[in-house]
Amino acid sequence: MALFLQRLVDGLSSGSVYALIALGLVIIYRGTGHLNFAQGEMALFAAYVVYQMGEWGLPIGIALVIGLATGFVIGAVAEVGLVRPISKKSPFAVFIVTIGLFQLLNWLSGAIWGDQVLPNSGVGSKQQQYPSLFPDQPDDFVKVFGAAIRYQSLGVLLLTLVITGLLFLLFNKTKFGLAMRAVASNAESAKLVGIRVNTVLMVSWGLAAAIGALGGVVFAGINNSVSLGLMFTVFIYGSAAATLGGFDSPGGAVIAGLAIGVIENMAAGYIGFIGQEMKLAVAFIVILVVLMVKPSGLFGTAKVERV
Amino acid sequence: MSLLSVSHLKAGYGPINVLHDVELTVEAGEIVVMLGANGAGKTTTMRAISGMIGRSGEVHFEGADIARATPDAIVRAGIAQVPQGRGTFPELNVEDNLRCGAYIRSDKEIDADIDRWFDVFPRLRERRAQRAGSLSGGEQQMLAIARALMARPKLLLCDEPSLGLAPLITQELFAVIERLNREMGLSVLLVEQNANLAMHMAHRVYLIETGRIVASGSAAELSADDSIRKAYLGF
Amino acid sequence: MKSLVTIKEGSIGHWVLRLLAAAIVVAIMLWIPTKGSNGLVTSATEALTLMSAAMALNLILGYTGQISIGHSAFYGTGAYVTGILVSKYEWSPWLTFPVAFLFAFVVGVLVSFPASRIKGVYLALVTLALALVFPNLLRWPKLESLTGGGPGIPNGDSALDTTGFNIGRRDGQMRNFEIFGWDPFGDLRGQGAIPFYYWIAAGIAVIVYLVIRGVVKSRAGRSLIAVRDNETAAAVMGVNLVATKAFAFGISAGLCALPGSVTAIRLGAVSPDIATLTILGSLTFLIIMVIGGAGSLWGPIIGAALYVFVTDRTGGWADDEAIPGVLRPFFGWSKIPPGSGIFAVILIVLMFVAPRGLVGVWKQYSPRVVRVVPRPAGVAHDAKPALVADTTTNSTPEGESE
Ligand SMILES: Nc1ncnc2c1ncn2[C@@H]1O[C@H](COP(=O)(O)OP(=O)(O)OP(=O)(O)O)[C@@H](O)[C@H]1O
Ligand SMILES: [Mg+2]
Repeated sequence: MALFLQRLVDGLSSGSVYALIALGLVIIYRGTGHLNFAQGEMALFAAYVVYQMGEWGLPIGIALVIGLATGFVIGAVAEVGLVRPISKKSPFAVFIVTIGLFQLLNWLSGAIWGDQVLPNSGVGSKQQQYPSLFPDQPDDFVKVFGAAIRYQSLGVLLLTLVITGLLFLLFNKTKFGLAMRAVASNAESAKLVGIRVNTVLMVSWGLAAAIGALGGVVFAGINNSVSLGLMFTVFIYGSAAATLGGFDSPGGAVIAGLAIGVIENMAAGYIGFIGQEMKLAVAFIVILVVLMVKPSGLFGTAKVERV
Repeated sequence: MSLLSVSHLKAGYGPINVLHDVELTVEAGEIVVMLGANGAGKTTTMRAISGMIGRSGEVHFEGADIARATPDAIVRAGIAQVPQGRGTFPELNVEDNLRCGAYIRSDKEIDADIDRWFDVFPRLRERRAQRAGSLSGGEQQMLAIARALMARPKLLLCDEPSLGLAPLITQELFAVIERLNREMGLSVLLVEQNANLAMHMAHRVYLIETGRIVASGSAAELSADDSIRKAYLGF
Repeated sequence: MKSLVTIKEGSIGHWVLRLLAAAIVVAIMLWIPTKGSNGLVTSATEALTLMSAAMALNLILGYTGQISIGHSAFYGTGAYVTGILVSKYEWSPWLTFPVAFLFAFVVGVLVSFPASRIKGVYLALVTLALALVFPNLLRWPKLESLTGGGPGIPNGDSALDTTGFNIGRRDGQMRNFEIFGWDPFGDLRGQGAIPFYYWIAAGIAVIVYLVIRGVVKSRAGRSLIAVRDNETAAAVMGVNLVATKAFAFGISAGLCALPGSVTAIRLGAVSPDIATLTILGSLTFLIIMVIGGAGSLWGPIIGAALYVFVTDRTGGWADDEAIPGVLRPFFGWSKIPPGSGIFAVILIVLMFVAPRGLVGVWKQYSPRVVRVVPRPAGVAHDAKPALVADTTTNSTPEGESE
């Protein structure tokens, strides 16, 4: 029981990160119909920025705001400067540009912060560990039925749920959210009713990158460090969540993200055969099976074309 | 001063020029009908006026030059378009579709307006929470018109509202448009293939052929011209 | 467009031109191992392996329009097949090439069944996941007895170099390699194994090139291109989509395994940490192919040469002192070599200005100098590159020939 609970909570906490990445993917997909391969690396760069703010002694709250703002700017600039002009050419060109962006952001992170795992006193880091959003000392946990539930895990889950709730309000209760849904549904008509579609798309990409950035910061916090490869697998998990939930369903992305986190942890824990090494195979199989059997995912609309 | 005056309008898609020289005016309170064969450039004219495609020439609305304005500025100026093929937001419900129509407004009367168009199109009220994509063609067309009217436009551009509708529904829609014109003085520029129906309510008619206006006049004048009658009106 | 010289396809002039081009290629290939420095030979070997992998990738991406960023897994499959067979079963490395091909071919065909149902960027996603899972699969304890787990199969006594092939690890000298008693390569310059690896890589590159050329110019190849350009139309024309794609994917995977085997032989060891076996490898292949020109036979070749040249030149630039003076202000701040950043920028810029890659640029401008007029009846078989069917395409010069 204790072990089960432990694994459940651990799963939910990594699932929260997947959910945040998936949310970003879904917001971009709904707006522009693109799969943003650079989503994970945008988050990576923001995670490094937060590390840097920590180095400069800023409190985590301010560091986080700056990190998310960085993410927002990267996303918005990528949309306006690269994706929008290239999408007139071909879907393949968009794909290559997002791959180029992936590589560029990863390189830029390395160019600025180097290729070691940070924080690292060897390269002069002042911090002992990566800035954490939640109390993360060894004794920051509660015992529930014998399971040690870390405040961090709870905090991460709670944060994800709050973000989801805020997004729900944004989409359904605000005028801008209405505009986002209208653009996702029919961009041409959205223009005809006076929505500035370009602005909506720019903000959507920015918002998506900022949410992804939150995922990156949270994950680096769970991980206690940031390094260049941090987001590779997280991106795959996030993509698996977006696929499973349906690429045009934000709610689906969150549910699927949490579910994948739990499944992965349970599978690795209880099915000895899988082990830690093959956890990622869970994500791979989810993507493969969902795309083959039900490309619109569990909660998506059939409108999603797989082209 | 005309409400809308268009002259030397050229527009097209990329390198292809579709409109070569379109001249037309709509006076306040008028219903103007544009007739033309498939591919003549009617939709392109509408899209050029709404700022949806690149264009050159002069477009004046209430005296202001809107030839270079963005689509949202044109909607704000008071021109709303019902695009060909309805162009509703299929994933959004009926009410949200109408709210989108009022996107440029920030006054307090939006809910009242929604109610008002539900009075005009009672079928929409019954389906207010239903996704627009699941409405019938006629209901979608009503929704598209109501959505355009939610912007409280001075000029309504209506692109082939009868497309794919049963004659009875078409008549019903046209009756509504005529009533709005009479009661609120709404000006309308209407594109139609179905000449006979449209001619009845038109104050004036333009004929467009391969991107040029080739004839204009009152419905009576055009019907009186034998060659035009045979070529366009088919009787 | 005016051009200096105009020749007819198939005419004597055209053949002279072709032979001249071939002669230049052969001369360069011979010059490198005989006159070039060890460093150059090693770089060229690297380029040849990467180019083979990119050519293999090009077969599906450039010609059938299926996107894969999972080819590092096939590459790695080749490396491990060779590594395992040589080290555990004492096979001759030569014999492992066909096995690596076949094994990866089968894996490729298996992957292709889901792939044929999944399109575009979603296939890219699936293959990306594959690329990330692959190294984990190698580390998987259940396979450890075969793959050696995390450390892989080391370059030790029990490893690749002690078996019959004797790939030249010992004393840095190659031994025991001869064709009917004749040792043609190893002592080409008395440098031991380095030129030898070069020749293996070159041989594989030539084979991969010829196979792809054969496939592309065959009937099957035309159906591949038909699939890329329009699936529905291809289906109507009677092209069996699933079989065609499976075949293409299998060949592509199989061919990609060959340079993997070369890498295993060259390193004398395999491990999940070799960069080309990870997602970085897949990205490298993709970059090489796109920069050179997707969908053209020569694209990956040009791309690989450029890639290796730039990465070699800038490889030490993490250290500011190594950066040539004029460039120091631009790259000095970077804590890692600028190679991947440079290629990221090239990739993005190229998509805007020349989506058909360097070969596309060449095809656009070369007719100003020499223009080859095609034979009249539909023999224009050279594929238009990739899915880069941009609407605003500049009119392609007619009568191009590779
Ligand atoms: N998006 C587009 N891209 C390129 N050409 C277009 C596009 N839309 C329309 N055209 C071309 O412009 C010309 C005019 O089209 P338009 O839609 O304005 O005709 P129309 O008069 O509205 O016809 P219909 O009665 O069939 O609706 C046609 O030749 C059409 O092929
Ligand atoms: Mg039309």
